[in-house]
Amino acid sequence: MEGLIEGAALIAAPDVVAAILASAVYGLVIGALPGLTATMATALLVPVTFYLSPIAAVATIITASAMAIFSGDIPGCLLRIPGTPASAAYTDESYAMTRKGQAEMALGIGLWFSAIGGIVGTLALMVLAPSLAEIALSFSTFEYFWLALLGLMCATLVARSSPVKAIAAMLMGLLVSCIGVENPAGTPRFTFGVTDLLGGIEPIPALVGVFAVAQVMRALLMPEPPPIPRRRFGSILAGQWALTKRYPKPLVRGNIIGVIVGILPGAGADMAAWISYAAAKKFSREREKFGTGHPEGLVEAGAANNSALASSWVPALLFGIPGDTITAIAIGVLYMKGLNPGPTLFTENASSMYALYLIFILANIVMLPLGIAMIRTSTLVLRAPRAAVMPVILLLCAVGAYAIGNNLFAVVLVAAFGCLGFLMERNGYPVAALVLGIVMGRMVEQNFITSLIKSDGSLAPFVERPISGVLAALTFTAVLWPVVIWVVRRLRPARLRPTEAAE
Amino acid sequence: MNTLSRRTLLAASGGIVLARPALAQAGWPSRPVQMICPWAAGGGTDAVLRIIASLLEKELGQPFNVVNRTGGNGVVGHAAIVQAQPDGYTIGMLTSEICMLHWQGLTQITFRDYTPLSLMNFDPAGVQVNTSSPWKDIRQCAEAIKASRPGQLKASGTGQGGTWHLALAGWLVAMDLQPDHVRWVPSNGAAPAMQDLAAGGLDLTTNSVVEARAMLDAGRARSLVVMGPQRLPVWPDIPTLKEAMNLDWTAGAWRGIAGPRNMPQEARTALEAGLKRVYDSHEYQDFMNARGFGLLWGDAAGFARHLETQDASLGSAMKAAGLAKA
Amino acid sequence: MQLSDRVTGTVLVALGGLAAWGGSRLPAVPGQDVGPAAFPMLIGFGLVGCGLMIALGIGHSFEVEEDESTSGTWLYGLRALLPPTLLLAYVLVVESLGFLLTAAGLVLTVAFAFGARPRLAIPLAVLAPLGIHLVFYKLLRVPLPDGLLAAPW
Repeated sequence: MEGLIEGAALIAAPDVVAAILASAVYGLVIGALPGLTATMATALLVPVTFYLSPIAAVATIITASAMAIFSGDIPGCLLRIPGTPASAAYTDESYAMTRKGQAEMALGIGLWFSAIGGIVGTLALMVLAPSLAEIALSFSTFEYFWLALLGLMCATLVARSSPVKAIAAMLMGLLVSCIGVENPAGTPRFTFGVTDLLGGIEPIPALVGVFAVAQVMRALLMPEPPPIPRRRFGSILAGQWALTKRYPKPLVRGNIIGVIVGILPGAGADMAAWISYAAAKKFSREREKFGTGHPEGLVEAGAANNSALASSWVPALLFGIPGDTITAIAIGVLYMKGLNPGPTLFTENASSMYALYLIFILANIVMLPLGIAMIRTSTLVLRAPRAAVMPVILLLCAVGAYAIGNNLFAVVLVAAFGCLGFLMERNGYPVAALVLGIVMGRMVEQNFITSLIKSDGSLAPFVERPISGVLAALTFTAVLWPVVIWVVRRLRPARLRPTEAAE
Repeated sequence: MNTLSRRTLLAASGGIVLARPALAQAGWPSRPVQMICPWAAGGGTDAVLRIIASLLEKELGQPFNVVNRTGGNGVVGHAAIVQAQPDGYTIGMLTSEICMLHWQGLTQITFRDYTPLSLMNFDPAGVQVNTSSPWKDIRQCAEAIKASRPGQLKASGTGQGGTWHLALAGWLVAMDLQPDHVRWVPSNGAAPAMQDLAAGGLDLTTNSVVEARAMLDAGRARSLVVMGPQRLPVWPDIPTLKEAMNLDWTAGAWRGIAGPRNMPQEARTALEAGLKRVYDSHEYQDFMNARGFGLLWGDAAGFARHLETQDASLGSAMKAAGLAKA
Repeated sequence: MQLSDRVTGTVLVALGGLAAWGGSRLPAVPGQDVGPAAFPMLIGFGLVGCGLMIALGIGHSFEVEEDESTSGTWLYGLRALLPPTLLLAYVLVVESLGFLLTAAGLVLTVAFAFGARPRLAIPLAVLAPLGIHLVFYKLLRVPLPDGLLAAPW
């Protein structure tokens, strides 16, 4: 208990409070700017943390990333340009709500359920960290392979278009992820002698290109849409309580999926969002409404990606194992400030640990008022003329992509993916599936090959290991689902025909 | 009113014109210096470079900004240092990969394309096993390896052909075994390898002890030996290969500062002196020791010799392991 | 441009074929039975399969028809190429012209393409690059080239 009190004292320090507030605003703004992402926001903070005290430094990373993951939903909802790969899972849904004039509700869902997800994730972190860590450590490459494949299969469940085109888009994404030297063999693949391609294609320039640039391209071909009627929404949060009561199961399921997927290093908020959105669609009673602007999927996915973010700190804090790029950066900062991850953090530095937990909770609470302000400001974008918004978006795409690795080649990639995304969308290929393929490709291949090396080429452990077997079953279900539906649809009219003939 | 302000303007611009030559004569550095890091923000190399940069800023009075140029297993960043203007305002950190990349045929750049300035750190490879492993010391581990079938035991620590892969291969060769007697399972760095070790998926890992720190502290893994010239100050109980098995094999990851070829003499002298002071400063020593990074100093000439010997020895180790293409 | 499913399907088949072929030429690596060729080949075959199915119209029944109102000729459609072209121009020109000028040019062009009047486009072209430069250069310490016109900070 004194640990908790000491921890609270640590964060009451003025520089920590200032750091939390400043990085909250920073994270919200950067995440909300189309073309910039949560990962970028966190990476760009590292030099700043150098000058801060340990707790303040970690506070900035925690707060900024939590805010940015939520505010990545904002451009996705308003402009169909997701701020993070996680938001890409449900961008179409929230954008559909915007077109129905329900933008504030969609964003309110994102805010409210993200905050809940973040707090639940933190509670899981506080209470269950050791047991969760045990689960995390029992996952070897075989389990990861199935998990990655399961994540990929969600692309088919989620798409509104033909599942064949969704799989084709996903395969294209996987092909893109093959480029480079970062494969288990260390062999350069499809690099065509270009040095910049040796590192492979980062998901973020692809995401930015395929959504943001393609959107600008599309807008150039369409006349200015009619202005959305001005409606004063009373309170963004008012409707949320009603939604919480209406969709308790998606909320709970989203949190659970988020916590479990998040603690697995290498998985993370992206996967959690995709899997939970697919689960929401699969278990919903109003399945056909998904994609037309239906809140249910947003509830589940919004909760999942923030709780995944919180729980991904479990392996990070306990073992120094990064769950994703953001936690990798955070681990680096922890080490730099002398807060070495590991059990010593819990035993010798207990007050720091509690301080971290409290910062998490504080960040999610602070998200509410700041998020509301952010939402209100950003909905003004809906009223601004396109001619003012689009140029700024394009400029942000260029600068944001450049900023990650200080590499102009990233801007070339953005342009190329812009063209690709435009062509794909025009012909009914879901670009979100492409992004998913790029994000997950390495995970699938890495784990497949290394598992084979460890099993000396045998495929048996892939299904014999208990967790593997369960995940394998889930994956096959996800794959076969559309096929089953197709078969059933084919059979139904056949059943009608005999009765018609009999009439 | 107008003539007054015009006169002031003329006076001011005259002052600037006169001041300019004085500024130019201030010598290197007279504006911010860029330090290129070939690896991602938040990683080990990035952390070491940032502390060096901030200390250099104090020593030399101008901002030293770290810029991450990632990609291609370090090729992009290392290439950026080579291609920068040799005016002393862009330098960077070299890591041991520079002596390996050209052997793998991934680039034409070699250590000869740089002006070495100083060697700052060396992290020797280690051998880590799961705490539940029956091998209590390195001799038992070596016996078990010799008794095993080729390819039966599995090790990891980094990607295919990476520094720790070579460390293992060289150690096996030093024990008169085939370099691939223990099967290498590539991983995306040390952290996933350590996790797999703790999950029971591997028999051993050969990454550095500092990268295994969290797992060691958590009691999930044990470090049996250090492949370096001396024991590590943070873990004084871990013997070296020489002590434990009387083998002369050393391997590890090192980091140093360098600039493009043909840097001006003034910049080089200032940097070499500044870097020595940075290395000796207690901020640097404290930081490295607290984190567990190994300290190793080499001045410009020493770093140049180090690069040459490393290039040769890594090259031959890679050829022996079948990893070299050039 | 909207192409028929036959065309996109055939493109995918070709892409898949290339991928599988390119993958098959990758050399194996010692110590790994399943080499770097496996994944690209698997993906290639998958793409070929999907391409065939799409070209033959399988799975089409799932699609939801979206109405995209696109007016104008093929030439008008070339407008869509403006953003990628501008991005490529940015890459080519930013190091020599500097960020502020290049960004201003980019913003101005796009604004005019969307039909903005000069009294909106010009202030935007001045303020947006300055604002972004401030945030990225000063706050986030991202090096943006100065070129011909350096920012005052």
